[in-house]
Amino acid sequence: MISKIKEALICLRAPRVTFRYPLEPMPAPARFRGRPTIDGAKCIGCGACAAVCPPRLIDIHGEGTTRTVELNFSRCTYCARCQEVCPVGAMQCTTDFETATNDRANYSVKVELAAVACQSCGTPFITQRMQQKLMAEFQPAWMQQRNELPEWLSLCQSCRVEKTGMTMGRNIKNG
Amino acid sequence: MTTAQVTMTTAPETLTKAQKILQGIQEKFGVALISAENPRPDRLFLKVRREEIRPITDYVFNTLKGRMVMSIGTDKTPVDGHYEVSYLYALDAEGIALNLKELVPENDPVVPSVAGIVTYANWNEREVYDLLGVKAEGHPDPRRLVLADDWPDDVFPLRKSVPYNFKPPVRDVKPPMRELTEREKKSTIVNVGPFFPTLEEAASFRLFVEGERIIGADYRGFFAHRGIEKLTDNVLDYNQIPFMAERICGICGFVHSACYCMAVEHAAEAEVPPRAQYIRAVMMELERIHSHLLWLGLAAHYLGFDTVLMQSWRIREPIMWLVEAITGNRKTYGLNLPGGVRRDFTNEHCDKILEVIAKIEKEAGELVAAAAEDHTLKMRLVDVGRLTPEDARLLCCVGPTARASGVNIDARKDFPYCAFPDLKFKPAVQHTNDIWGRLLVRAEETFTSIDLVRQMLARLPEGEIMAPVGNIPPWREGVGVAEAPRGECVHYVETGHDNRPYRWRVRAATYPQLQAVPYMLEGMHVADFPIIVGSIDPCFSCTERLITVDRGNANKLRIYEKKDLLAMSRRRTQELR
Ligand code: SF4
Ligand code: SF4
Repeated sequence: MISKIKEALICLRAPRVTFRYPLEPMPAPARFRGRPTIDGAKCIGCGACAAVCPPRLIDIHGEGTTRTVELNFSRCTYCARCQEVCPVGAMQCTTDFETATNDRANYSVKVELAAVACQSCGTPFITQRMQQKLMAEFQPAWMQQRNELPEWLSLCQSCRVEKTGMTMGRNIKNG
Repeated sequence: MTTAQVTMTTAPETLTKAQKILQGIQEKFGVALISAENPRPDRLFLKVRREEIRPITDYVFNTLKGRMVMSIGTDKTPVDGHYEVSYLYALDAEGIALNLKELVPENDPVVPSVAGIVTYANWNEREVYDLLGVKAEGHPDPRRLVLADDWPDDVFPLRKSVPYNFKPPVRDVKPPMRELTEREKKSTIVNVGPFFPTLEEAASFRLFVEGERIIGADYRGFFAHRGIEKLTDNVLDYNQIPFMAERICGICGFVHSACYCMAVEHAAEAEVPPRAQYIRAVMMELERIHSHLLWLGLAAHYLGFDTVLMQSWRIREPIMWLVEAITGNRKTYGLNLPGGVRRDFTNEHCDKILEVIAKIEKEAGELVAAAAEDHTLKMRLVDVGRLTPEDARLLCCVGPTARASGVNIDARKDFPYCAFPDLKFKPAVQHTNDIWGRLLVRAEETFTSIDLVRQMLARLPEGEIMAPVGNIPPWREGVGVAEAPRGECVHYVETGHDNRPYRWRVRAATYPQLQAVPYMLEGMHVADFPIIVGSIDPCFSCTERLITVDRGNANKLRIYEKKDLLAMSRRRTQELR
């Protein structure tokens, strides 16, 4: 019987524990990992986020001279790995958790970026912003000033391989 | 290290524990031991001849007092034409994980069954057959265990030749039933399932009942087998698996991702910064506190003490908010990656943790004290769901289930990981062998965890929280062991190419405990059934249906919903009052 009284006391002393949500908003804590989104002004289309996403929700595909970074977060695990690896802070996990919707299209975020063509074969192979970023990070200042593109940044991968192969072949021939 | 080197280069008095054990096995079995590796003091990986597996198993289990942890079946046929079947043992007294690996030729996929020596091997061997197609010769009950009933008989999903997304057509196949004893044949059969109220797995029990008493039980589960281990074939990479691992359990997910990361770190011989180790350990203990409070509420709920449910969940909730503020989510913390953790504690976090656990200590203390004095509660739990220490050992039970049967094992003590080598605590052990004991163990552990968190925060090291693991060479093995709230959680990783493991194997604590449930049920009332299954803490949640089959008229089915089952259990509490 005493234990029953004790239990009753615990209940009586307990404060109100429920919230008035959804009648009142309930902001998530600052570190909350919620709905991911891409800032189109910043994204350079590098594909780092696509490589780490565990459920593989980020797709990078190209048509002509555009490269599209497409995020469909309907199956998002909210791991925030994409945010962690994004080199320019374009990918952000917001604190938004109210993602219910009647339209699946609302789960999709698309960023379309202009791609530049390979100077040798003409196939678009890299986004303009990516090329600029690489140039800014890896090119010596004098080359940047003259706005000169180094060869390795102006050729697509297969042309680059071919070219290196040719150079190597020449070098071998020349001893 | 080859076996020869061990004996030649080291004098007996300087031998480590692992080397002594190795020497013992070598002396006794000689050529049956093909090779041995001792990559860390607490790990011993042996390759043994499969013809000799029974005597070696007998020696490891009965003489060395090893506890079987799990079997690991790996398809190495694309590499060297063999299947590999391993049995991982925990030598708890020595703190060594010992792996016995048999090489099985592709054209003769058979191993001798050891289920006659270690009862717990029963499921392990059935699982190896289901998933890898290596048969255990002489198995007492080789029914299908893991795969769906209609899965084709000749497709073994863990073979590398089977694509990960292979979907066989649906067939109409009866589930495999075990042979009944004469007594069971005369009894009434009560079917519980297939959606048993366990959160992780839908499960089905057939109870053999005489009047009110259960005389036997048969289990069929794995309905929700998700085949996540297969995803390492070509879907997930090293850094993606933690997020998958975290979703294995709906309550204690963090310990899974931590355990996986430990396995990878061991295999890669990577050092994890001390601060990351402490953060992991703090989070694991917070997880234990909220998990045990959750269990207490659920257990009380099954017995009809809903006030205890309401109050223990209320007391628990601040932990959920706390971890949400620290990690970004209340359940899937997403903290672990091989090499460390992704988010640091701030000073405010540490203060907040201390504040929350102080409050919980006080409130949970009052609640547990009130519940523990409750006469009715005690009557429902004392001597119910008994598991003898002998059975607990044969079934290799772990966690609170084992500790309430007097088996003094706790991975935090026996295999100290993360911060635990630096901490002082005593595992909670009871000798009552019943649910009451399991309750006492969990209650004590809740307060031990609070103390452990305090110890850790008082000495939280400064510094980095992540150290890059770098390239992981293939064909290394790692075993991660951690004490989850429900018992020891073990992850095994064999490294492979393409930045992903070749094999990833997970053993959660419920795996051995569920095998013990039929033992606990024997002689009990049907009304005790929910609390007995609940006493192993298998994360009850899904809705339940219970069908009684009237044997005189097979068409007359009685279907009990969850509410009927609960009502039955509660009526029994009323009767006792
Ligand atoms: S949060 Fe995780 S799951 Fe979601 S899009 Fe980013 S990487 Fe993918
Ligand atoms: S969101 Fe960031 S990581 Fe993803 S493609 Fe854009 S820049 Fe790269």
